[in-house]
Amino acid sequence: MRGSARVLVIGIGGLGCPAAIALARAGIGTLGIADDDVVDVSNLHRQILFDDADVGSPKVPAAARALARLAPDVLVEPHLTRLLPGNAVALVSAYDLVVEGSDNFATKFLAADACAIAKRPIVHAAAVRWHGTALAVGSAGGPCYRCLFEDVPLEDVPNCAEAGVVGPMVGVVGAAQADLALSMLAGEDVLGELFTFDGKSLAARRRRISRRSTCLLCGDGARIANIEPRRYVEGVCSVEPRDIAQDPSRAVSY
Amino acid sequence: MDTIVRIPAALRTLTGGADEVKGTGGTVGEVIADLDARHPGLKDRLIDEKGVRRFINIYVGEEDVRFTGGLGTELKSGDQISIIPAIAGG
Repeated sequence: MRGSARVLVIGIGGLGCPAAIALARAGIGTLGIADDDVVDVSNLHRQILFDDADVGSPKVPAAARALARLAPDVLVEPHLTRLLPGNAVALVSAYDLVVEGSDNFATKFLAADACAIAKRPIVHAAAVRWHGTALAVGSAGGPCYRCLFEDVPLEDVPNCAEAGVVGPMVGVVGAAQADLALSMLAGEDVLGELFTFDGKSLAARRRRISRRSTCLLCGDGARIANIEPRRYVEGVCSVEPRDIAQDPSRAVSY
Repeated sequence: MDTIVRIPAALRTLTGGADEVKGTGGTVGEVIADLDARHPGLKDRLIDEKGVRRFINIYVGEEDVRFTGGLGTELKSGDQISIIPAIAGG
């Protein structure tokens, strides 16, 4: 039986695939999936909605077909687009909760800001090599993603020099994302904690995060009340910053 | 006083692959400086001219050092430092 919740998955990649599967199997009513990417053979080890026959095809329709087989009762709403300054608030506003598994900082901060403006809860997650994190942010007040990571990095960030992610890591972190999303939909308090996962030691830790009074998004005198494209400029290793509003290609790809 | 410092995967190339190292010092800043002497480059990945880089989070136990005095956070016996960088991948 289909539930009534509407959940948007931003990025149907390594994190989005396991998260979408878990949410669909849990009986989420409507699952929106947003991505503009095409399936590549290098995706297959971790993006578990796709197989060899999907290589070269757009991810969103391929994921929709797979989800329809796995959970026929779930209504899948495809969005063949990445999250952009021009569509972010409208897109997240159409859903009850957002699950964000994008692979670049500009999109992560854009999703955080759009959800705060639209008053939508969001679960952020990321995974690089053997390390993953997940964070649930409520629909009102903090702490939020910017309380922890402040702003889009403009300098060489540690992950710029690293490439790739171990397949099982995104399985663990994507499932944790879905777990946090389902908990939030059930009214449980899972806010204000950063979950970290170490794929080498298999250690999972949780740390309390606090609202930062100087946070641009939820702090005292918070300054972000609308989406300004110039705010989502991402530095890339040894490359000039690129404005994602003008260049739809990825700033950093893994 | 030695403090255990947990190193995230992204920075383990600087510690020879070690996920835990020990540093000496009475404050977070002193421990980082001590580690940098043995693992050159580590300090620069964590700290800039303004302090802790904005995409890096440093915890002493369960406390974010932003709220406990930043690099001047004093350490006591048994404290463990964790470094959590912002990551974007999946």
